Amino acid sequence: MGSVKTLNPNADVMGRHAATFMCVNAAKGLHEVMKTNFGPKGTIKMLVGGAGDIKLTKDGNVLLREMQIQNPTAVMIARTAVAQDDVTGDGTTSIVLLIGEMMKQAERYLQEGSHPRVIVEGFDIAKKALLEFLDDFKTPVDASDREMLRCVSRTSLSTKLAPHLVEQLTDIVTDAVLTIKQPEQPLDLYMVEIMHMRHKLDQDTRLVKGLVLDHGSRHPDMPKRVEDAFILTANISLEYEKAEVNAGFFYSSAEQREALVAAERAYTDERCRRVIELKKQVCGDSGRGFVLINQKGIDPLCLDMLAKEGILALRRAKKRNMERLTLACGGFAINSVEELSPDCLGHAGAVYEHVLGEEKYTFVEDVKHPHSCTILIKGPNDHTIAQIKDAVRDGLRAVKNVIDDKAVVLGAGAFEIAAAAHLRSTVKKQAQGRAKLGVEAFAEALLGFVKVLAENSGYDAQDVLIKLQEEQERGSNVGLDIATGEALDPQVAGIYDNLIVKRQIILSAPVIASQLLLVDEVMRAGINMRGK
Amino acid sequence: MAMGMPYGLQAMLKEGHKHFSGVEEAVMKNIEACKALAQMTKTSLGPNGMNKMVINHLEKLFVTSDASTIVTEMDVYHPAAKLLVMAAKAQAGEVGDATNLVLTLAGELLGNAEVLLRDGLHTSEIAEGYQRASDKALSVLESLVLPGTDTLDVKDKAAVALRLRGAISSKQLGYEDLLAPLIAEACIDVVPSNPHNFNVDNVRIVKIMGGALPDSQVVKGMVLKRDAEGSVKCVENAKVAVYAQGVDTSGPETKGTVLIKSAEELEGYSRSEEEKLEQYVKAIADSGAKVIVSGGAIGEMAMHFIEKYRLLALRIPSKFDMRRFCRATGAVAIVKLQAPQPDELGFAKQIEVRELGGANCVVLQQDASLGSVATLVLRGSTEGFLDDVERAVDDGINAYKALCRDARCVPAGGASEIEMARQVADFGKKQTGLDQYAIARFAEALEVVPRTIAENSGLQASEVLARLYAAHAQGQVNAGVCIESGAPKDLAAEGIMDVYAAKWWAVRLATDAVVTVLKVDQIIMAKQAGGPKPRAGDGDDD
Repeated sequence: MGSVKTLNPNADVMGRHAATFMCVNAAKGLHEVMKTNFGPKGTIKMLVGGAGDIKLTKDGNVLLREMQIQNPTAVMIARTAVAQDDVTGDGTTSIVLLIGEMMKQAERYLQEGSHPRVIVEGFDIAKKALLEFLDDFKTPVDASDREMLRCVSRTSLSTKLAPHLVEQLTDIVTDAVLTIKQPEQPLDLYMVEIMHMRHKLDQDTRLVKGLVLDHGSRHPDMPKRVEDAFILTANISLEYEKAEVNAGFFYSSAEQREALVAAERAYTDERCRRVIELKKQVCGDSGRGFVLINQKGIDPLCLDMLAKEGILALRRAKKRNMERLTLACGGFAINSVEELSPDCLGHAGAVYEHVLGEEKYTFVEDVKHPHSCTILIKGPNDHTIAQIKDAVRDGLRAVKNVIDDKAVVLGAGAFEIAAAAHLRSTVKKQAQGRAKLGVEAFAEALLGFVKVLAENSGYDAQDVLIKLQEEQERGSNVGLDIATGEALDPQVAGIYDNLIVKRQIILSAPVIASQLLLVDEVMRAGINMRGK
Repeated sequence: MAMGMPYGLQAMLKEGHKHFSGVEEAVMKNIEACKALAQMTKTSLGPNGMNKMVINHLEKLFVTSDASTIVTEMDVYHPAAKLLVMAAKAQAGEVGDATNLVLTLAGELLGNAEVLLRDGLHTSEIAEGYQRASDKALSVLESLVLPGTDTLDVKDKAAVALRLRGAISSKQLGYEDLLAPLIAEACIDVVPSNPHNFNVDNVRIVKIMGGALPDSQVVKGMVLKRDAEGSVKCVENAKVAVYAQGVDTSGPETKGTVLIKSAEELEGYSRSEEEKLEQYVKAIADSGAKVIVSGGAIGEMAMHFIEKYRLLALRIPSKFDMRRFCRATGAVAIVKLQAPQPDELGFAKQIEVRELGGANCVVLQQDASLGSVATLVLRGSTEGFLDDVERAVDDGINAYKALCRDARCVPAGGASEIEMARQVADFGKKQTGLDQYAIARFAEALEVVPRTIAENSGLQASEVLARLYAAHAQGQVNAGVCIESGAPKDLAAEGIMDVYAAKWWAVRLATDAVVTVLKVDQIIMAKQAGGPKPRAGDGDDD
């Protein structure tokens, strides 16, 4: 242990026991924090940022991201959890809990003198066995079964939001994914726009089959509402652009200057006129509306020209919205005025502006075959909106996962109880020698989920666990009913988890736990050391 | 060891983080902060509420009893109290009135929650009970809607003024008879044929110091606090040309250089410029316009020609004022300096520069049929007083907007709250779960409104409450506190009513905020950003 000290007298070293102690404690500490978040009955945490901004969350991922953890072990665990979120969109709290439990169980054996390597071997065996077991345990589903998708999204959302919102958002999230789903194509969740308005109550959140843009027309005389409208999605500049080269005008009278001013405008005006011509061509006198949504700018003079023709024009639309627009309304985006033709136009039943204080929103609604949609989140204040936004993101991912996996796993702790029983009854017997200890530790750690779930719902953890295990031994799949504290059949209650979430947890939790257990020295000898 | 033995959350976070958890540390502390906030605003509730003197971070002085102003200017830092402030702001955004009710009710609910927590109830049970009680209270509230109030002719000045009295009297007691008709008049001037689309922005308020409040008046049109540019100060029945940009010679976007070879050319150039500009101004004058409004600067040369053709020139630098001006005159803002088309011209019945309280103001008068902007000119002795009246007027205008959307009214003076409290309490007694205690406490919290009204009026609160309950038990559901005698009295008969929508939102938002505060069991605070605070009392000694 002292060897580093010889090399660098400033170094900070922790010996084997101290290192293990630190790792275990950090994992336990994080476990302690995240524990109360777990499950539908978890409590809310309030995070106050440096500028006094408030964030309320139940989502493990958000919590870890915002907490600014400094302890090295805790950072490692937090990173795994963030990776979990990147891959699956859910299960961040679970993974922290599992690692914490695993470290806790391992600590018991370490204190009795076992070598960490032995336990790690056991973890490894258990992990492999569990992955096989998971494949047997999963329930294959039909990805177009709306009810099943709802079940999964409900399970995911209920761990993040208040109950009265869950039912509503379940439908919104499920329908949003079903809207953008196109046969034979991978699902692109970016085609769901998430827009928020600080307005009304959280229950007013809704799904808009169409698009909501967070800006409005920039001209007071443009129509505020057009119906049965053609939508032109364009990426053409309708403003004067300076030449790349250094150009200058020379004139010697005001007439000449006026002529130059006019000539300068001519090019831009011409492009604007082409758009107007197209409008006249397709609309004629039919009274149908025409909406121009441009990714580039439109200068006041062009806006004025367009306004006179009754065209609703939006400038500087976001790039991502251009893609979504064509998916929602049909047609395709054009990049030059030469391409203008009636074919490139999309269609929407209603386009209207909504003004909220200073901010303007434009709704493109009533589209015929939308392949893109918007989840419009409303709430009286920013933290409510942020909370819903995070939850919606996870909900969408959960639904997508089902469609990708074509399978789900029974929730409410059913998988964990069954898996623990499987480890004890079959895998432990197959394992050779001292690796049995690791398998046992893993099995016990899995049961930690059920305990936390019971605790958060206000029941005695051991009572509940034994009740459920007894039920499970009778050969049925049981989960915990958080309302009564009794056993329930998750299949009947419609509680399903994502397969990929569980798989990812089982894959990564043992890896990180093993790494932490095998740490036998912590050294800090970098240049950046704080002076002693 | 330098790294220490990390245990618990504290050790894992960056330096400067604060962390509170558990019922004692987090929930109770939060409740305490919220209660303190509510305690402060409570005394401002009701017609006899007290004013607060608030000095904000810019050292601006506010004297007001308007809760939303108090909490906005106070810059609340405590996170839980901030949740309440947010609820109050949401209320201000939704209905623009009854913000004090949100704060007072939320404070009372939290105070009662504290009692329940000490009795050993779990926060989730309290939250659930409150939620259910608030659902019940809102359904009671709906049944309390005064018959006949669901339809209101929003163009009937007397009827509207009557409805607005409630909102005004809670802010500016004594002036309601003066202000309510003024607000009603201004609002009715601009209300569109579909009252749903009433835009608060179309009623402007201009505060001019001097005179007294009874000198206040409604101008059908706009009042701009600046003088006309030229010497023409008054026109009548005039056409108006509005230019979004400045009125001056135009230049190309690309840099231009004037190429001059001889002295004659130089002279010729200036002349051609002048001619060009004169041509423009003449074209405007020829189109029949008598008024030029410019969004930007008016060039000196342009001014010369404007004077020559005897046009009234007006500069409106604010884009929003410009739009309102366009709306009021029906003009279209022209982006290029060119002769206006007939349909781009607006019309003004009279534009005149008047001296109001020592300042020259441009007054645009319109016939009611033409304009869609009305302005309330408020007069008063001090700036602080005018600010306060303005807030009351704002509330009044918002109340009008709420009336346009939902004209329903409920009994005022604490009558609705007592009735809600009575029925919620009955509802609670029928419950079997632990949440019945929370429901009972919710009912109790609702009493805070009549109690505070009575207290602020110097009456015996308990006695007033008892008499109110007795009256309500006998079926007089409209009986509220009479602030003069303290006896139960049907205030609706006197024309004092509250807007249903405002009450609905207030109960709703207060409950939501309270439930959120209760559900938080851990607070993690980051180190405060920014540099060190400026030292207090700096520069005292020099």
